[in-house]
Amino acid sequence: MGREVSESCVDNLMIEMVSAYCNRFYSTKPELAARRIEAIGYQVGHQLSERYTMERPRFSDHLEAIKFICKDFWAELFKKQIDNLKTNHRGTFVLQDNRFQWLTRMSIDPSPANADLSQDSSGETAENRAVQITSMHLYFPCGIIRGALSNLGIPCAVSVDTSNLPACSFVVRIKA
Amino acid sequence: MIVCIAVVGHQSFTEADDALKLHHIVHCSLDVIDERVNNPKKTGSTLNETYLGLLYPTENYKVYGYLTNTKVKFILVTTHLDVRDADVRNFFRRFHSAYVDAVSNPFHVPGKKITSQTFAERVSTIVKSFGLSSAV
Repeated sequence: MGREVSESCVDNLMIEMVSAYCNRFYSTKPELAARRIEAIGYQVGHQLSERYTMERPRFSDHLEAIKFICKDFWAELFKKQIDNLKTNHRGTFVLQDNRFQWLTRMSIDPSPANADLSQDSSGETAENRAVQITSMHLYFPCGIIRGALSNLGIPCAVSVDTSNLPACSFVVRIKA
Repeated sequence: MIVCIAVVGHQSFTEADDALKLHHIVHCSLDVIDERVNNPKKTGSTLNETYLGLLYPTENYKVYGYLTNTKVKFILVTTHLDVRDADVRNFFRRFHSAYVDAVSNPFHVPGKKITSQTFAERVSTIVKSFGLSSAV
């Protein structure tokens, strides 16, 4: 059961979705674009968690559910597991993926034409813009994680830390 | 014969003959499920749970419950007297699969009634084959 789609189609769809929301639908309001993308991710995560928890016994606690996300869920989505999981045992988890699939093909365009707008700190602006563009692409997986955990009964907030690409760390804070 | 199948997440979707009576039965079994879930025995924390023997005063019904990881409950009401455990598990497995496909519909709003025609057809196929296999 189930028809399949090639991975490059999914990659292209992701890229086009972010570009459409950022440049066409909400070009003047990047926060709104980010929220819409995250909301789409939430619904997808919700439905995917329904599908991937089908055959499994129920989770006994939050840690079990997070481990499920790190291993089985991530493996179904990206064919690899989360590389590193850290917790402070007080409701915060850090999921680190050393080579996040949707970022591996990204390169930032350092063209000087765009940097001319601000003469004084053009290097920094290009850097900031690179980080901003990358973080736009990461709202969708944040939404997926949030949707999946919410469906398992764990309301949380998910943010991402991109200090060294293509590794990225998803920070999950469980709302008590 | 299966009289009613209910999917209870936040709202319920039922397919039933005698709606009011069956709603009553379904609500009672929900209470039992909650009781079971809140007092877990260490050995009994599995995906499926079977609840046999909820006898309605005037007629014999058997009510089975199934709880998914996402806290969605399936309740099956049947008038079959000698239904086998394996059949019910099989039924719930197929029903769960149909439910997951229905919920994966991007136009489905979570929490609202499932309105997919395909889902209704698959469920009636599963129900019919349940009846036949148990008739042996």
